Amino acid sequence: MDHKEMPGPTADTWGKSFPLGNELLKNISSDDTPLTSSQRPQQKWEDPSMLDYNTRIEPPFQEFKQRSETQSSLPCNPNNQNKVTDEDVQMNGTIQTEKIQDWDPRAMLNNLNFLEQKIHQLQDLVHLIVGRRSQALGRPDELLAQQKQLITADLTSIIVQLISTAGSLLPSVKPLSGTTPTGQLGQLGGLFLPSTVGLNSSVQPQNNGGSKVSDQSNQMDITVNCGNEQNYNVEEHESKDDEDADEGENLPPGSYEILQLEKEEILAPHTHFCTICGKGFKRDANLRMHMRGHGDEYKTPAALAKPNKEATSEPMLIKRYSCPYAGCKRNKDHKKFQPLKTILCVKNHYKRTHCDKSYTCSRCNTKKFSVIADLKTHEKHCGKDKWLCSCGTTFSRKDKLFGHIALFQGHTPAIPLEETKGPTVPPDRGEGNEAINKVRSINFNFGSNAPNGNEVQNTADVKGNIEDPTGYFSPLNFDTWNFGGFHEFPRPPYEDSESSLSFLIPGSCNYTVPGSCNYTQKTGAESSSNNPE
Amino acid sequence: MLLSAFTEDLLVRVYSKLGSDSDRKTWRLVCKDFLRVDSVTRRSLRVLRSEFLHGLLSKYKNLDTLDLSVCPRIEDATVSVLLSQAVNSVSWTRWVTRLVLSRASGLRYGGLERLVGACPCLEVLDVSYCWGYGDREAWAISSVRGLRELKMDKCLGVSDVGLAKIAVGCGKLERLSLKWCMEISDLGVDLLCKKCLELKSLDVSYLKVTSESLCSIASLPKLEVLAMVGCPFLDDYGLQFLEHGCPSLQAIDVSRCGCVSSSGLISVIRGHRGLAMLNAGYCFSELSAMVLHSLKDLKNLNTIRIDGAQVSDSSFQTFSTNCKSLVEIGLSKCVGVTNMGIMQLVYGCVGLKIVNLTCCRYITDEAISALANSCRNLVSLKLEACDKVTEKSLDQLGSCCLQLEELDLTDCCGVNDKGLKYLSRCSELLSLKLGLCTNISDKGLAYIAHNCTKISELDLYRCTSLGDDGLAALSSGCKNLMKLNLSYCNGVTDRGVQYIGRLGQLSDLEMRGLVNLTSEGLTAVVAGCKKLSDLDLKHCGNIDDSGFWALSYYSRNMRQINMSYCAVSDVGLCMVLGNLTRLQDVKLVHLMNVTVKGFELALRACCVRIKKVKLIGSLRFLLSTEILETLHARGCKIRWE
Repeated sequence: MDHKEMPGPTADTWGKSFPLGNELLKNISSDDTPLTSSQRPQQKWEDPSMLDYNTRIEPPFQEFKQRSETQSSLPCNPNNQNKVTDEDVQMNGTIQTEKIQDWDPRAMLNNLNFLEQKIHQLQDLVHLIVGRRSQALGRPDELLAQQKQLITADLTSIIVQLISTAGSLLPSVKPLSGTTPTGQLGQLGGLFLPSTVGLNSSVQPQNNGGSKVSDQSNQMDITVNCGNEQNYNVEEHESKDDEDADEGENLPPGSYEILQLEKEEILAPHTHFCTICGKGFKRDANLRMHMRGHGDEYKTPAALAKPNKEATSEPMLIKRYSCPYAGCKRNKDHKKFQPLKTILCVKNHYKRTHCDKSYTCSRCNTKKFSVIADLKTHEKHCGKDKWLCSCGTTFSRKDKLFGHIALFQGHTPAIPLEETKGPTVPPDRGEGNEAINKVRSINFNFGSNAPNGNEVQNTADVKGNIEDPTGYFSPLNFDTWNFGGFHEFPRPPYEDSESSLSFLIPGSCNYTVPGSCNYTQKTGAESSSNNPE
Repeated sequence: MLLSAFTEDLLVRVYSKLGSDSDRKTWRLVCKDFLRVDSVTRRSLRVLRSEFLHGLLSKYKNLDTLDLSVCPRIEDATVSVLLSQAVNSVSWTRWVTRLVLSRASGLRYGGLERLVGACPCLEVLDVSYCWGYGDREAWAISSVRGLRELKMDKCLGVSDVGLAKIAVGCGKLERLSLKWCMEISDLGVDLLCKKCLELKSLDVSYLKVTSESLCSIASLPKLEVLAMVGCPFLDDYGLQFLEHGCPSLQAIDVSRCGCVSSSGLISVIRGHRGLAMLNAGYCFSELSAMVLHSLKDLKNLNTIRIDGAQVSDSSFQTFSTNCKSLVEIGLSKCVGVTNMGIMQLVYGCVGLKIVNLTCCRYITDEAISALANSCRNLVSLKLEACDKVTEKSLDQLGSCCLQLEELDLTDCCGVNDKGLKYLSRCSELLSLKLGLCTNISDKGLAYIAHNCTKISELDLYRCTSLGDDGLAALSSGCKNLMKLNLSYCNGVTDRGVQYIGRLGQLSDLEMRGLVNLTSEGLTAVVAGCKKLSDLDLKHCGNIDDSGFWALSYYSRNMRQINMSYCAVSDVGLCMVLGNLTRLQDVKLVHLMNVTVKGFELALRACCVRIKKVKLIGSLRFLLSTEILETLHARGCKIRWE
């Protein structure tokens, strides 16, 4: 088949699925489907519905059995196919490892060859139709319409191919995947088929390599053909998929064009380069501003105006982007592909998900980011206002934390750990005997986990501490009370009858009187006159 | 001996009939058997001194209530000792369900955590006025899964995070008071209302909460009592949430909420027909007809306070016809209260027991007579600053309201000796306030002293006509007096004060500005009133050190003392602060004879137990930082003047 001769690297999956496709191909060939170009998707089509379809549209085409057979055998033969498959596999390896970015003249040549063949095929097809029409005039309009559409679709695909081939020459963004015609197809009698999302996986893998223009055009073919021929079936069996794919955005699949940037392009700091001095810019506007320095011709309003504005006066298709990382949900080959809205989204997505987090927060030294803006955002509130839940989740805002706590059973706000720990007991105890130190250690060292030994020791500390202030008053012994003029006062018994019990903490009562006399001794004349000894 | 015939269970039964603490004390002193019965049966303990704590707790094993609110030096270390001791023997914490740690500001999260952790049955916890408590302490509290009642008034450091801890940890909370926990906002209250659905009583007074909190509170299915005093951001919009929420709401207090008006109140009333208590004091300037109209639906309303509102006679007409079951009415500082109004009120509301007519200056004997005639069960009447009230009112009260227990006649110039004679017929009087009644003399006081022997609180502030003889009569008659205010009674001298020493139950004595009081009088008082715990000696300039020395020897139970403007010296101050081991609150402003060093030493002497001290502001920079830090670390609050 024609597409087998498709030059250049095709997707790896294509290679893998090939044997099956080959079988199908044979089946289909024997089924005498007259439309050459439509056979390619069909071979890959594993879905039974497809087969149903084949049987269903069989009758109208029966007449062309033979011709179609011959035709299909013409452009390609099994040997050829096998060869290509081998090549494909090889190419796959290369694609995976070394990413193709630079323009490859050989690939270009292949593309052009392919286009040439394609045009020839179309020519044949039109010939066929013309011949058939002359044979049987009483054919139903339906069929005629279908044929018309078929041709349109093929033409479209050729155009797409051409554009993308030309596009590959440009250094900037390559439109690699689904292209405008998809949308146009959509307008063609509502017979469009979602270019990527809609197809089931057996077809999808074609794109996995994602780098070759020819691939894309193949895909387009499939789309076109399926759309043309098996409208009903396809729509039926894909209704499920649609629901899944649409969850992010409400764009119907296929109503937007999908662009996919290469990794290097995504990671490149600049996307706009000065053609004169080679300086790179992030924004085109900045480049334009820069260009002014290269001469007066760049200063005209036209040169400074935003380009592409009037160039695309036709209704622009919505552009959506695909992540080049295979297997990513943002990759167009993913079953539940969710496109990215802008190039910036692509860049941030790719860096966040598929790149190392190379920017580390200088404050906490733990949080890492791959997008520098994220780091800056984080640094704004790093350290302060960090609301932490007992489950370990952190929140930038208190109300978020409280919402979280309200939601989950048993979660509580965590109180920062540093305070809980406090200084450990032993070193503190070692330091000095000042009351202050002790008080601190007592007040802050009582962790809940302190073993019993610690408690007792702490208690000892307290005792010492209590005696400290007393020390000011009573270096004298308890026995050497000197009441001054007041020993005539009998010491009243405590109101609490339990006074007989031993004191819990010595010193609480001891400094009653010794304190006084001691104090008198210490603080000089004015008190000693009051309190003659 | 007869007593030996009683079996232990009989003794327990007898013991359980004992009413007062002093009776129980007598019981303990009878013999060892009685003491044992006491120690086995006793359920609640209020410890005054930390020295005894250890022994008491090893003796009373079956406590369910432990009150440490007046005990100094409740600290982490103390707790550790108490608990480590419990490891050896049977733990005293076993049955403890109620723990009062009010003002135990020295206790921090570590100790608190161990203490509450050791009490497996803990249900009620009071940590009010532990001003230093924060989220960490709240965290410790949150480990008490079975907690039903929690009082956290003035735990200044507790924020939404701490409240969230408690809300998540103590899901069975039924009563919670968050008064003055200024850090708490809507977020915390919202979470609380989501997590603690059992809440029956909630106090968010003085918090900066807004209507959003009320929206959350309205979702509480079992809430019965809601206090929101002085919440400046609460408004009518918030109260509208309550209309459709809290189906079992019975009491609501929105007093001093500046943004609440009649319409908000009406919506609350509309939603809760079963409302029994409504306090809307100082909310709105005028009691609108709409509110009064809606009151008609509150068949169970028994308490209403509309302090500060403007009322009219017709308002009272409405009360009278619609609120027949009213027991308490608060009309303090209401504008427009007339004799006619009061007469209309008491015509319908004959069941009134508590009436507050403070500063209703236009009412006269006519109204009081009507009140006394209608409301025979009157228990409490406040007539402060009703200066048109004379002995005629007291005559009526003395003849009709024999249940009267509390009467406030402060600043009623019309009260004289004759009036007190009539009043003395109310023999149930427990509290009598005669402040600023300059017309009463010793003679009048003697009537009261002779007949009202149950009086426990007497206020004689600035009764300048009173002399020593009055106090003599008082000391012989009112033996149960616990609280006495003699401030600025300039006629009282040492002789009179010496009589005070005979009042053995006296615990609270104010003697501000008694210029004639000297050390001699003070010595007599402190030697006699051994239960004295609160003493105010401000402006008693004639007491010298010897008086304070006596104070420091005798007043072992002194908890709070005001010595501002006294002539105490360094020595006296150190004696007082060093020896009074229960002392927790001292005011030491303008002590002219005390040096900075004296302050420093005195504070050092008491820094381990003192909880609150008031000092002159200039000392802030003169005292050593060491002592200030020590005080702070001990949970002592310093108020600078």
